[in-house]
Amino acid sequence: MYAVIALIAGVAIGLLTTPEVPDWLGPYLPIAVVAALDAVLGGLRARLDGIFDAKVFVVSFIGNVLVAALIVFLGDQLGTGAQLSTAVVVVLGIRIFGNAAAIRRHVFKA
Amino acid sequence: MRDTLDPGYAKAAKRRATGGAPSARSSAAWLVSGLLVVGLLLAVAFRSAQAGSAGDNLARDALVADVQEVQAEQSALVESAASLAEQVRSAQATAGGELAQLTALEEMNALVAVTGPGLSISLDDPNAAGGNAAVLDRDLQLLVNSLWSAGAEAIAVNGVRLRVTTAIRQAGGAILVDNRPVSWPMTIEAIGDPDGIHQRFINTTGFGRFSTFTQLYGVTFDVIAVDSVSLPAAAQVDPQYASAEPTSTAVTTPTTVTTSTS
Repeated sequence: MYAVIALIAGVAIGLLTTPEVPDWLGPYLPIAVVAALDAVLGGLRARLDGIFDAKVFVVSFIGNVLVAALIVFLGDQLGTGAQLSTAVVVVLGIRIFGNAAAIRRHVFKA
Repeated sequence: MRDTLDPGYAKAAKRRATGGAPSARSSAAWLVSGLLVVGLLLAVAFRSAQAGSAGDNLARDALVADVQEVQAEQSALVESAASLAEQVRSAQATAGGELAQLTALEEMNALVAVTGPGLSISLDDPNAAGGNAAVLDRDLQLLVNSLWSAGAEAIAVNGVRLRVTTAIRQAGGAILVDNRPVSWPMTIEAIGDPDGIHQRFINTTGFGRFSTFTQLYGVTFDVIAVDSVSLPAAAQVDPQYASAEPTSTAVTTPTTVTTSTS
């Protein structure tokens, strides 16, 4: 219950205050969103498995966002451009699919 | 790859089973703060994506407006240049003599608006809007050259009069005639001998190529003979390096003109 309220509150604050995103942060934002989706779906699945832990959820979320941002930054510095961003999206995408499938099996038993 | 769930969850569950479960309050605090950050991140990303696309649209609209404004300005300047040239010519007409020769030369170089019988060609390429036009600059060049060889004395493409130095070329998807963009559908007007130009034009390679285009790509290509068409004057040539030799008989001295074909 708190969780849903907190999520809605976060979205509301973000939409209402519309903080100015500095230009250098621009390329990391989409990657951070994908990492956040991965963490949220992972948490949801853990909850359905009955092993959810709030601390693990928060730490894994922040850790994933930081590592994803680091890889994108490294790609920029090495000149591989968008290719390392693609790698991040692919890996996180596979995890998102896997977790979504597990949630689906829990919910629909199929 | 197969294990998509963070192993941390399983470890935390094991730790909890062996005692040392975290308090409900601290775990609620973790959860609330974490999801607050997630929601904030989603909202900020949404907002910035929205702002980015809006900014792109604004920039594109502003550029389009700029281009249209400058094109209108160019048209106005061309018109005023034509009317000024008309004044010069009417002043010259009263002088006669050598200046009459100048008028004849100007007519040859497409510097005066002309009227006469000839052909009007309607062209439309339905594929051009999709970005893979069937008609390219070289096809238009061939068509125009076929008109010249059929005996045309003056030609205009979409109201742009062809002169000696006019180039028809392509820049991306746009076709430029004398460095001015012309858009589909196009009208090509030519003035020439009303008895023969239509017959001779049908026998040219340009006519043949466009007839093929009509069958293969659905290009509209209609040639009609008209009794009277009016073609505007072409833009003045601005000599940058050529100048008249300073002699006492300046009018009869031939001017050295070095024009590079672009």
